[in-house]
Amino acid sequence: MRARPGFLLALPAWLWLVVFFVVPVLQVVWFSFGRKPGIFGTHDNSVLTLDRYAEALDPTFGTVFLNTLWIGVAGTALCALIGIPTAYWMAVKAKPQWRGLLIALVMIPYWTNFLVRTIGWQVVLAPEGWLSTALGALGILDGPLEVLNTRGAVLFGVVYNYLPLMILPAFVAFDRVDPTLREASRDLGAGRWRTLFRVTLPLAAPGLFAAVILVFIPLMGDYITPSVLGGAAGSMVAQLVAVQFQAGQNWALGSAIAVILILAIVATAALGYALFRLVALPFAAARRVKLGAP
Amino acid sequence: MQDTTSSGAPDRHGAVDLLGVSRRFGDTLAVDALELHVEPGEFLSLLGPSGCGKTTTLRLIAGFEQPDAGEVRISGRPVTGLPPYRRDVNTVFQAYALFPHLSVAENVAYGLQQKRVGRTEVRERVADALSMVQMREHADRKPTKLSGGQQQRVALARALVNRPSVLLLDEPLGALDRQLREEMQLELKLLQERLGTTFVFVTHDQGEALAMSDRVAVMRAGRIEQLDAPRAIYDAPASAYVAAFVGQQNFLDAHTAIRPEAIAIGADPMPGEKAAGTVLAIAHLGEVTQFLVGLADDRRLLVRRPSRDAPELGLGRAVHCAWDEADLLHFADGAGAAIPAPLLDTATAP
Repeated sequence: MRARPGFLLALPAWLWLVVFFVVPVLQVVWFSFGRKPGIFGTHDNSVLTLDRYAEALDPTFGTVFLNTLWIGVAGTALCALIGIPTAYWMAVKAKPQWRGLLIALVMIPYWTNFLVRTIGWQVVLAPEGWLSTALGALGILDGPLEVLNTRGAVLFGVVYNYLPLMILPAFVAFDRVDPTLREASRDLGAGRWRTLFRVTLPLAAPGLFAAVILVFIPLMGDYITPSVLGGAAGSMVAQLVAVQFQAGQNWALGSAIAVILILAIVATAALGYALFRLVALPFAAARRVKLGAP
Repeated sequence: MQDTTSSGAPDRHGAVDLLGVSRRFGDTLAVDALELHVEPGEFLSLLGPSGCGKTTTLRLIAGFEQPDAGEVRISGRPVTGLPPYRRDVNTVFQAYALFPHLSVAENVAYGLQQKRVGRTEVRERVADALSMVQMREHADRKPTKLSGGQQQRVALARALVNRPSVLLLDEPLGALDRQLREEMQLELKLLQERLGTTFVFVTHDQGEALAMSDRVAVMRAGRIEQLDAPRAIYDAPASAYVAAFVGQQNFLDAHTAIRPEAIAIGADPMPGEKAAGTVLAIAHLGEVTQFLVGLADDRRLLVRRPSRDAPELGLGRAVHCAWDEADLLHFADGAGAAIPAPLLDTATAP
C-alpha cells in the first residue's frame, strides 16, 4: 500500500515512456513483419512475413551494417580512451578552483547545434580547405587532404561530437569517489597505479559503464555525422533507415533494418560487457579473500 | 618496510621526530616550526580545537602532506619527501575510509597484498587481526553493512595487520556515540599496551586525551602549548589557554583560576570562605552535580561536587563558597578572548 504515492509520482514518466517509446517501437517491430503493398503504399501487414529481414541482411546493406559497427565500436573506444583519462584528470588531479572552467570548456562546443558543428568540420577537412592548404604548405602533406567522404572522417566526427557525453558522466563518476579512500590506499602501501586500478576505477566503474553506453547507443544510430562527412564510403545504418522511410516509401523494409540495428546495439553492448568481465575475472579472483565462518 | 636496518638507529624503532617542521596553506601557517619527539611505544595525543594544526601534524607524519621547512623522522630515519606508501606508518581515518567494494577481510588484506605477502600468510594474519578486534565472524560482509563501532574496529584491524612501527589515529572515535566511545577508549589503550606500538592520536576531546595517553600535547596555532603527562596537564597547566581547554576553569581574574571541583559550597558560612552568592542553576550530571553561583559583583562561579555529598540547595538559595589557596592556578599569559571555556553553557541546562 505504501508504494502507491510513489507510483502516482512516477505515472507521468511511465505514460510518456509508453506513449512515445514503447508504442512506436512496437509499431516499428510490427511493420517489419509486413511488406510494401505497391508503388503508392508505405506498409501492409495483411500477410506476415520475415522476407524484409532477408532483404535487410542482403550483402549491399551488410557492408553498411559492418561499417556502422566498426565506427560505433572504434568511435566509442576512442571516446573512452580520450574521455576517461581527461575526466579523471579533471576530477582528481586538477585544482578544484579550475573545475568550473574545465567543465565549461567541455560543454561550450556542445551548445552549438550538432549539424552546424559537423558542417564546420566539413569545411575544415575539405581537400581545398585551410587545413589541407596549411599541411601542404608545411610540407607534411603531398597533394590535397583526402579525408572527407571516408570512414575516417566519420570516425573523427563522431569522436568530436560524442566526447562531451563521455567526459561529463565519467567526471561525475570519478568525483563521487571519496578522496580519503585514495589516501587510505596509499597509506596501506599502494602507489598511484595500484590505487587507480584497485580503488578508483572499481568504484567509478558503474558511472564509466553508463558513460560508454551513453556514447555507444546514439553513436550507432547517428544520421547527421555520416551524412555530412561520410559520403558513400562512410555511410551508416541510420541513413539506410531514413532512405527507406522517406525516399523509398518502404516502411516495412525500413522497420526491419531499424529492428536489426536495435538488436545489433544490444548484442554488441552485452558482448562488450561480457568480454570485460572475462578479462577482469582472473584479477578479481587473485585478490579475493574469503575466510568463511570461524 | 620494516626499518631496523643500518640506516636508522635501531633503538629508535617506533619513534617519531618532527624537527622544526612548518606547513603553510596559502596565508595561514598550519604548523609553525614544530618540535615533537614521540618515544617508541608511547601513546601520545595531539589535543586542541579545530584549526590548531593537530590534523596537519598527523598528515605530515603519514606523508599526505610534505613540510615547507624542517624534517620528519620515523624510527630515527629521515622520511621527509617520501610518499605515504614508502613510510612504515598506518592511519586510522576519521570516517574510517573503508573500501566499500571490498569485504571486511579484503579491506584488512589490502595492505598485505600490496607488500606481496603470500596467500596463506595473508589469510592467517587477516584472521588474527579480525579476531583481535572481535570482528572475525563478520569477515565476509561488506563494510557498509556494519555499525559505526564495527567499522571502527575493521579500520583498526586494517591498519594494525601491517604491523606498522607507528599507528596514526585521526579522531577515530569522533563518530561514535558516547557510551561506545568510552568502551573503545579503554580497548584502544589495552590494545596499545599489548602490542607496544607507538600511537599518535589526534582529538579535540580533552577527556579522551587524558584517559588514554601517556603524554598529551596541547596545540595552539600550529605550535605545542604544553607537552606533559595527563595528570600534569590537568593539575599544572602551563598557560591559561591549556587550563581552559583541559577541563573547566573559573577565572577569578585574568591570571588566576580555580577548578570547579576545588570549590566547597554550602548554605551556612564556612571557614576560609572566599565568596558568597545565590544559586542560579543546578545540573545533575549523574555522578557529579554542578551549581552555577551568581556572586554579588555579577561574576559567576561554577562549582562541581560529587552527587553523593552535594548539599541540598534550591534555586535562588543564598550560598557560601570556599577554596584552598593551594588549589589556585596562576598564569603569566592571562585569559584572553581565545579561551574556549564557556562557563555558562555547561551549567545553565538543568
